[in-house]
Amino acid sequence: MKINNKIFTLGALLFCITIEAAPFDSTYIAEPSATSLLKNANIYDGEGNEFIDYDLLIQDGKIKSIGPDLDSDIENVAIYDLSGMWVTPGIIDLHSHMGVYSAPGVKTSSDGNESTSPVTADVWAEHSVWTQDPQFSLALQGGITTFHVLPGSANLIGGRGTTFKNIQSNTIQGMKFPEAPHSLKMACGENPKRVYGSRKQAPSTRMGNIAGYRKAWIKAAKYRENMNSYESKSDEAKEIVSPPTRDLELDTLAGVLNGEILVQNHCYRAEEMAMMIDIAKEFGYKITAFHHAVEAYKIADLLADNNICGAMWADWWGFKHEAYDMVQENIAIIDQARNGTGCAVVHSDDAIGIQHLNQEAAKALAAGNRAGFDISKARAMKWITSNPAKAAGIEDTTGSLVEGKNADVVIWNKNPFSVYAIAQKVFIDGNLMFDRSQPSSKPVSDFDLGIIKPNKSRTQ
Amino acid sequence: MKNLNLLTALLLISPLVINASDLLIENGTIHIGDGSKAFVGDLYIKDGLIKSIGDLNVKAKNTIDAKGKIITPGFIAPMTAIGIVEIGALDVTRDDESDYLNMGFSIFRGFNPNSTLIPWNRSNGLTSVITLPQQTSMPLAGMGSYFILDGNMSISGKQDMVMLGKMGASSGSRSEDLDLLENLITLGKLAKTKNYEKVLESPLAEFFELHLQDIAALDKLANKKLPLIIETNRATDIKHLIDIKNKYDLNLILAGIEDAPLVLDELAKSKIPVIINPMDNIPNSFDELSSSLELASILNKAGITIMFDSARSHNYHLIRQGAGNAVAYGMNYEDAISGLSKNVADVFGIKNRGSLKKGNYADVVIWESDPLEPSSVPTYVFINGKQIDLTTRSSRLKDRYIKKLGKN
Repeated sequence: MKINNKIFTLGALLFCITIEAAPFDSTYIAEPSATSLLKNANIYDGEGNEFIDYDLLIQDGKIKSIGPDLDSDIENVAIYDLSGMWVTPGIIDLHSHMGVYSAPGVKTSSDGNESTSPVTADVWAEHSVWTQDPQFSLALQGGITTFHVLPGSANLIGGRGTTFKNIQSNTIQGMKFPEAPHSLKMACGENPKRVYGSRKQAPSTRMGNIAGYRKAWIKAAKYRENMNSYESKSDEAKEIVSPPTRDLELDTLAGVLNGEILVQNHCYRAEEMAMMIDIAKEFGYKITAFHHAVEAYKIADLLADNNICGAMWADWWGFKHEAYDMVQENIAIIDQARNGTGCAVVHSDDAIGIQHLNQEAAKALAAGNRAGFDISKARAMKWITSNPAKAAGIEDTTGSLVEGKNADVVIWNKNPFSVYAIAQKVFIDGNLMFDRSQPSSKPVSDFDLGIIKPNKSRTQ
Repeated sequence: MKNLNLLTALLLISPLVINASDLLIENGTIHIGDGSKAFVGDLYIKDGLIKSIGDLNVKAKNTIDAKGKIITPGFIAPMTAIGIVEIGALDVTRDDESDYLNMGFSIFRGFNPNSTLIPWNRSNGLTSVITLPQQTSMPLAGMGSYFILDGNMSISGKQDMVMLGKMGASSGSRSEDLDLLENLITLGKLAKTKNYEKVLESPLAEFFELHLQDIAALDKLANKKLPLIIETNRATDIKHLIDIKNKYDLNLILAGIEDAPLVLDELAKSKIPVIINPMDNIPNSFDELSSSLELASILNKAGITIMFDSARSHNYHLIRQGAGNAVAYGMNYEDAISGLSKNVADVFGIKNRGSLKKGNYADVVIWESDPLEPSSVPTYVFINGKQIDLTTRSSRLKDRYIKKLGKN
């Protein structure tokens, strides 16, 4: 594996040369932020620590320092006394369809599945996103500062996913999380075989699914080889041969083989996840996370050994056969696998659930501890902060309250593992994006404006 | 596995089996379910019934020390598919749809007391439910039944005790749907005096290809106060349905009602009870643009009787989480407990259940902590005074795999 990795790194370098300033790149630049000092708060830092009666200093949009009794003698500082209140990193959802299945959920807003071919690696979810989806603001009020939007699961390979900051912008580029890698959505099991099988088209079986992935990767490997072989030629040699024709679908798959695009794999059943791991090894790519992963607990050690996260619901089940074997301990079991080296993520896949990821984590935590584990709330906080940040490839800039990271911060009125906890203030890059004590701070999308009463916004 | 203590786990999940035919539950924090304030006291169960409640001086064969624990009535979910849908995407496991009947469709004989949804929801605090068919015909679909979740092969409950309807957000015109609803009720009124065969000859009955069962159901609806749940959201629909209720003296319950704050006074005055999902603040259609997390609180302050629905299939017990969120956003706590228990019994005429009243069937749950916290689960569940085994298919799977961890 070591040798292979070196070859891939070399390939990645060569391949990168062909890609110039990419279209649709993020244009987001954080507004200058005020200096804020959060005093006397109880803090889950998203790294597994709990600090009681601590201070947190936000400066220049970053976490400046965290500790007891920080010096408040700073120029132009806004001081918040948070005695008895809780502070966490901004909550991150690794599996959202906001913007691609916008509200109202009418057919003209159903833009999440390009279900016209089982492999559509050429499509990007971000090209479907509606910037005025009223669900973004609702998620912000639930503490969501960052979310990853994926295509749906109708296809074996559904296309690219994109990470967004939960800020208002009239362009997708303006919302995109700077330098966050794309993901590739893949899907196992019932959905692809149902969608295409019902059309008497491949895949109509699980074995057809597996054949479909492997065929796609064989094409991708050849394409990548051709691209790399062309790029490795001398300038003189390049003049006498024409460059390989670019192919959007294979660009994406080659990006995965180069390690630039992270695989987010919708997969429920244990044996299917194990097979997907073998396919990844066969073609030399890595699976970042299995999504939904209702049966992840059956192969928890295998996931931990392969450094693959499980992104899961706390308790959804039964809506289809592959979701029949739900255990509420799933998330805790993944977390505790191989002496606590597992990576558990609580995801939503739902516009209501995304607003209450803290409650979902609370359910999963309680179930795990009832089963005999001894998991702290501070550790469980990672499931909705640093672990999804890691799985989205943005852990260097967000997901926990450590010095130098983006100041994406939520203030809660109560311990966030309680149903009665409500996000009071939400900061993104140090800017106060939502303040519950100021109803006018609720972001109002164009859709929300004047729609029930001409002189009011929808949520007023 | 680090940190895994199986012995502790077993102790936690398997309380001793109690002979509950003569049982005193002592020193629990008791929520009667009728909206009154909780108190610390005792509950005495004898021969399946709540024999007495309060600060008791009773010698019982068995006792449970419930100090620090919460005691509530078994919760009742008013809108479920428990017993008639095992796996959502597998129609061969579903019995919630009729091919030829409309409002006369009964799901009662489809009910499966061996469904895995029963132990699962029961171990999470539901002791009885109303199970409803799919809304496959507009504006009135079939009839739902009430089921005690004892899992017995001899089914107990109440057959065909509610009809389901829907208004708005369809491809046709709601104006026509309201008209149709009135015409169908009028047809039902006719059934009071004419025999059903005669009613079937009406052009409306012929147009919809109604059958005798449909006419019988309309007769119950129009003349015998069969409760009718109509799912609707837009403010104008709520207003028109209030008018129709008054005009025909219907036993109407409204569900959804996300635009209700726009017609709050009219709704409160109508005394119509409502079923809401307090967590659904998504403006998911053009009918529900006023949706918000404050809905439960707004309705509660207006004195409207509230019951709860949840968004997800299978986990109907999550009405508790909805109630918890309703309280977080301003609903009265004890009213939320009533919404999970007594309100459902009262609204649907379920006798001797839904509250911890002397003489009621002993559908009782003892919780380790606040039942409105979704992380809380019951320690004991009693139905008709019988202790329920809290094992579920899910807990069996968990036990099997937790033992295997770290061994490969």
